[in-house]
Amino acid sequence: MQSSFAGIEIGKRSLIAHTQGLHTVGHNLSNIDTEGYSRQRVEMNATDPLYLPQLNREETPGQIGQGVDIVRIERIRDMILDGRIVKQANGQGYWEARDKYILLTEQVYNEPSDLSVRAMMDRFWESWQELSLHPQEIGARKAVIQRGETLMDSIHQRYYSLKEIREMLEQDISATVKEINDIASQISKLNGKIVKVKAMGDNPNDLMDRRDLLVQRLSRLIDISTDTRDPDEFTVHTGGRILVQGRVYHPLALEPEPENEGYSEVVWLERGVQAFFRGGKLAALVELRDVDVRAEIQKLDMMTINFIDLVNSIHREAYGLNGKTGQDFFIEYPFVDNITGNYDRNGDGVFDSTYVFRITGINSLNPKQQIGLRGTLTVAGEQNTIEIEYYPTDTVEDLVKKINTSGSEVVAYLDRNNRLALKATPATERGNPDFVIRYIEDSGQFLVGYAGILQQSGPEGAYNWDQADAVLALRGGELDYSVAPLSHPSGWIEINPAMKSDVRSIAAGFGENGRPALPGDGSAALAIASLRNRQVMVGDLMSFDEYFSAVVAEIGLKGEEAQTVLETQNLIMKELEDMRQSISGVNIDEELAQMIKFQHGYSAAARFISEVTRMLDTIINRMGA
Amino acid sequence: MKRISTYMKNFDMQYHLRLREWRLNEIQNKIASQTRIKELRNDPVSAAHATRYSSRITRMERFSENVATLKSRQQIAEGYMQEALDILQRAREIAVKGATGTFTKQEKQYMGEEVNQLLNELVEIANASSGEGTTLFAGSRNLSKPFRVSLGNVPGGTGEVIVSVEYTGNIQESLAEISEGSYIKSTFAGNRVFWAEHQVLLATRDATNYQVSTDSAIYIDGHRVELKTGDNIHAIIAKINDSNAPVKAKLDPVTNALMIETTTPHQLWLEDGEGCRVLRDLGLLSDDGALPPHNISDEARISGGSAFDMLISLRGSLYRGDTIQIGGSALKGIDNALNNLLNTITDLGSKHERLELVGERLAYEIPEMVAKKSREVDLDITRAITELKMLESAHRAALQTAGRILQPTLLDFLR
Repeated sequence: MQSSFAGIEIGKRSLIAHTQGLHTVGHNLSNIDTEGYSRQRVEMNATDPLYLPQLNREETPGQIGQGVDIVRIERIRDMILDGRIVKQANGQGYWEARDKYILLTEQVYNEPSDLSVRAMMDRFWESWQELSLHPQEIGARKAVIQRGETLMDSIHQRYYSLKEIREMLEQDISATVKEINDIASQISKLNGKIVKVKAMGDNPNDLMDRRDLLVQRLSRLIDISTDTRDPDEFTVHTGGRILVQGRVYHPLALEPEPENEGYSEVVWLERGVQAFFRGGKLAALVELRDVDVRAEIQKLDMMTINFIDLVNSIHREAYGLNGKTGQDFFIEYPFVDNITGNYDRNGDGVFDSTYVFRITGINSLNPKQQIGLRGTLTVAGEQNTIEIEYYPTDTVEDLVKKINTSGSEVVAYLDRNNRLALKATPATERGNPDFVIRYIEDSGQFLVGYAGILQQSGPEGAYNWDQADAVLALRGGELDYSVAPLSHPSGWIEINPAMKSDVRSIAAGFGENGRPALPGDGSAALAIASLRNRQVMVGDLMSFDEYFSAVVAEIGLKGEEAQTVLETQNLIMKELEDMRQSISGVNIDEELAQMIKFQHGYSAAARFISEVTRMLDTIINRMGA
Repeated sequence: MKRISTYMKNFDMQYHLRLREWRLNEIQNKIASQTRIKELRNDPVSAAHATRYSSRITRMERFSENVATLKSRQQIAEGYMQEALDILQRAREIAVKGATGTFTKQEKQYMGEEVNQLLNELVEIANASSGEGTTLFAGSRNLSKPFRVSLGNVPGGTGEVIVSVEYTGNIQESLAEISEGSYIKSTFAGNRVFWAEHQVLLATRDATNYQVSTDSAIYIDGHRVELKTGDNIHAIIAKINDSNAPVKAKLDPVTNALMIETTTPHQLWLEDGEGCRVLRDLGLLSDDGALPPHNISDEARISGGSAFDMLISLRGSLYRGDTIQIGGSALKGIDNALNNLLNTITDLGSKHERLELVGERLAYEIPEMVAKKSREVDLDITRAITELKMLESAHRAALQTAGRILQPTLLDFLR
């Protein structure tokens, strides 16, 4: 026999359950706009019925139901889909950052307009053409200075714009690392709370929603993987190490890297080792800063230094109106100012390296002549040395081409007087300086006796930059080398002030037979003008036209790629988000329908309680007298 | 997806609206700036082509200007050469007249006077300046007059007259670029234009046992001839003949000395290269450090005169009344001068033609190149406006639809 008030108890349970359901509907409706919210549902179960098969059961047909209980409030969420979204956010974060900065870099080029560096170089070239026609005029020289200065300005402008982008990237990296640390800290705190709630047997739905959102935000920044195998310790891995484990998180930090011009490296704060990321915004920023934009600056530097070296080589051999010769047209601050190129690399006060950019041989060569020598050249490559074989049937031209296509960091060409010149290119490894020749060795006689660069063959006669006075390994006599620039040439080149103070020093003619040039001699001006469309870049493989065109195409293609891939990523993300919304999103109509359901249930329960009350009333108040 | 959340409807509508707005913005910008390539990424390869075309156009326009400058320079020079031709023609007429025996000594005196005036006139022409303040016939020494006169008295003449005309310019021929990598000479050397006879230079030193002592070079008429250690006189002669210099060399059979003769009428221009003594050791050039053309050794004999020398010779014959010489060597000299000048003018004519052709070609190529560039870079306005219109109507349709489906929820229908 049940208790008298059992009915009321059933009704009461129903009221509570349906109120709970209604509250949950209210919670869903309130959070319709909350980011990352997944709708919650109450799960109702019938209460455990009476009587269980035990000794103290009443002998009455059973089991008798006891009403409804809320067993659980759960959130509707697909964990697998979540995992997919997290990965996708990583790709999206990477390409978003890349797209933005590549666009900035594209805009620096200012092409195809009439205001680019290329257009200014065209006009500079024009002024030399004019001078070649009127070599005796002062006016034409003033125009050369004017156009030259405009060209310098535009080169500086481009350099500073690119540098600024690098600075912006640096700041962005710094901010992103802070953000990562912040999110990691928040996740760890949430982990603590969630574990406590779970220990109580409850579902910390809203806390987990919040944590999932943080994980998604984090995944846009770095590539992560989450580990939920241990229910007490939610772990986030990145870069092969643990970022968050339960309530503990390991932050990242930034350390300035002197070999990277002082830009910071991302490290793990506690261990001090470098952190490597393969995806997400941070990886994109670091790659942009250290690979893409650095390469753009290097390309600009390479064009600049080759340009000024070529112009200066010609200008030095020519005579001005005032008879002066041996003067450079362009100069750079700062160059290594020791005449032999000695430089103190590690800052201990002792010269320990030689910084030389170009080495020219003594002997005049015939490009079509077969060299008739056998041997192997060893020159510095990206990381190690590269060996270039030469055979007796190779012509001088062939060997120059071999050197230029060998993938080493040295290019070769024949100068005006057909002497062999070797020039350094920008270095790929960050630890190596740009535009410095690092190693040259010849096992045979080509560089030694034939071209007149080295004094001896084999390793003893090799030119090695890693020591002071390395130029002693070069042939004496008509020693011709130019020292390397200490910092980016494109930021620091100027027209020689001596040219500006006396424009008559601008040399237009080579003179004849060692005599100074006469006023009407415009041969040097013509030679400088002819640099514009000769193959003088990268040794002798490209002209300036081809160089400018190639550079524009490269960055444009990178931009096109970034834009297209980003659009794709965005579209995929949208699809996934839509799917998630479909599963976890709140639909007002649905919630309202639920609300009606609970409302009816509540009314029914209330009515039931009234009935039971009336029945009790009959017993208590009406039975007996 | 069968289940649609409320948020999704809103989000989708916004996504598509934003995307379309972005496209509208792009089109608007392109129409406003009239270019198809707003960012390099819009069409990287076209942008790369466009930069090359752009530079090419600048260069061709420059070449066009160069051609115009050179044409005008040539025309001025040709004008002066025509005047010189007229003078020499007149001198020839006088020589022909004077060679007949029908004139008295007095009349021949007057003719001599006229030739003297013609001589003065010719010198003025040879020293003429262009409009740029430079002299035309001085090679690259173009800020000073190329011909220097010495005055003196001659028998039969009155007062001081020109007795010799020396060339003080040089023979360096400046080049100008008229097309990618193709050059044309832009200066004139007076000692070629105003020359009459072949020059012959005969040394007197025996050269049979001569050997070159070091690797060096000599310059003949500006052409560099390389000599190697141990070359004997025959090797030297062969190398001179093989070079492009307009001279021929040979060994005089009697004296075994070196002889150099020009193959076209002009003044010989010889020089030893730096660190070389070959021509001096052979007795052709003097040791006193003078520069060509004044560096001929006193030992050597040089013959072959300029147009001025011919006029001076004619004047002298007229003053002396030497009929035989007037009609003989003097007339021949004038003829030689005339022929040389005529050849130069013809040569100039063909250079002029070349410039014309190049100019015409550039006038055709430049608009071609501009059109090419335009095809890469410029916007097809019709297509752009059509796209704009389509986007606009799509935008409007999307907004209208969104307005309709976003509004009603169950709330509106519940009591």
